[in-house]
Amino acid sequence: MTNENNTLTALSDAMVAAVEKAGAATVAVNARRRMPASGVVYSPDLVLTADHVVEREDDISVTLPDGSTVPATIAGRDPSSDLALLRLDIPAAASAEKASAPARVGQLVLALGRPGSDGIQASLGVISAIGGPVRTGRGGLLEQYLRTDAIPYPGFSGGPLVDASGRVAGINTSGLARGASLTIPAALAWGLADTLAKHGHIRRGYLGVRSQPASITTAQQSSLGREQGSGLLLVGVESGSPAEAGGLLVGDIIVAIAGQPVSDPDELAASLAGPVVGVPTPVEVLRGGRLETIAVTIGERK
Amino acid sequence: MNALSFAVSLDEAMADVAHRVQRSLVVVHNGKRGAGAGVIWRAGGFIVTNYHVVAHRRGRSPHPLHATLPDGQELPARLLAEAEHLDLALLQVETVGLQPALIADSQSMKVGQIVFAVGHPWGQLGYVTSGVISSLGTAQSGNGHGASAQISVPIVRSDVLLAPGNSGGPLVDAAGGVLGINTMVVGGDQGVAIPSHVVESFISQALGGRPTQDSGEPVTDKKAGDWM
Repeated sequence: MTNENNTLTALSDAMVAAVEKAGAATVAVNARRRMPASGVVYSPDLVLTADHVVEREDDISVTLPDGSTVPATIAGRDPSSDLALLRLDIPAAASAEKASAPARVGQLVLALGRPGSDGIQASLGVISAIGGPVRTGRGGLLEQYLRTDAIPYPGFSGGPLVDASGRVAGINTSGLARGASLTIPAALAWGLADTLAKHGHIRRGYLGVRSQPASITTAQQSSLGREQGSGLLLVGVESGSPAEAGGLLVGDIIVAIAGQPVSDPDELAASLAGPVVGVPTPVEVLRGGRLETIAVTIGERK
Repeated sequence: MNALSFAVSLDEAMADVAHRVQRSLVVVHNGKRGAGAGVIWRAGGFIVTNYHVVAHRRGRSPHPLHATLPDGQELPARLLAEAEHLDLALLQVETVGLQPALIADSQSMKVGQIVFAVGHPWGQLGYVTSGVISSLGTAQSGNGHGASAQISVPIVRSDVLLAPGNSGGPLVDAAGGVLGINTMVVGGDQGVAIPSHVVESFISQALGGRPTQDSGEPVTDKKAGDWM
């Protein structure tokens, strides 16, 4: 016979509690013509959602878990990571709690959504894979993403993937991988949201080069003073670009930017994110087999 | 409790639920097109299934309804009542010793609750799938009196995998109690069930001798608890 207080009912109760906790900070985002999407209350007056569900600049509103609809404005958006931050005219009651530990494959998770005023929706699954980095177009690079087998129902974009304790493991979106659902890990999403709250956009650097990976010989590696099997051979330098202004030449092999080794295009994209923009930055290149460090003022990708 | 013993205990509890439900699960044959599932709902041989499972034998079908019981016995089944807008039908078989299902309180179910569906998808008998309740709401359903007459029916959606043959089978909670009758698949990945309290009302009306073709009143309130 089934014991009414067994581990299965305990697990079921825990899932309900997780939905209630995270659901209290999951909202509906009304910013497109089709059905509403979802969002996560990041701080009492800020809602984190997917950028691609914010289809208009004005007439945006957010429906809170208590059913009230609050006008909102865009506080910041980053199409490259498909995140947008909305500012509420009236603060929400509960903010989401971010998971403290990184996600692990096999961990139980719930995808939540609130696409409208008919209550919270949920789907159960596990973390299926952790991947990345992946380039997302427009110069963006997502350092890491999560995949889950929890079902992303329509309108779940911008909503949370939550762990068994109701803490947010990431933000779900179908806008980064041609309609397939990806989850932006909470640590990354919260970091980007913080920048969006302060600056309204994420600055991404621009060099103005075309490159391809090229192997570095053992002899050349000894001049680097480190083991690095490849760098980026410049095959084009755009006229009028930051790279040209700084003196980079076709034939140079970029091996590091701002002290961080660069051995493939993903690492180049990562090195151009954030604080280097607009700042003279040391770019290490192999030129004629010799290591040179050239100061380049990194431009901003528009 | 350590992680392994927790997992083993969880395992046993899940197997218990499946076993408990399968004792009250039948196969409903409509004599024409395939089969559905049914739940032994009450003592007295009362079996609940979907309207659409039995609908094909309406008219003067030469093939009578019959049910295969958990012990393999096949019996003719009498159609006592049907409600198209609820996709429910009530059957009765003449036998003793049936094990009625445990019926759960579907008015207190919650999103996130762990559930299992048991049925006969693609003819595989007693197949168990698992998931959670994904949302609670209502669906608009025709009441059989023309397209303009729509009735709001409480429904529960789950992320449990369903397929043809799950129709009429139970959606059960973690304690093995029946929360509803699985009725159809929307968009391939979200199963819909009619909550047990709606089934109870349907049976009460049917056995109370009221008209069985129209056992529901139009409902305008969207709360699931306000049905009838």
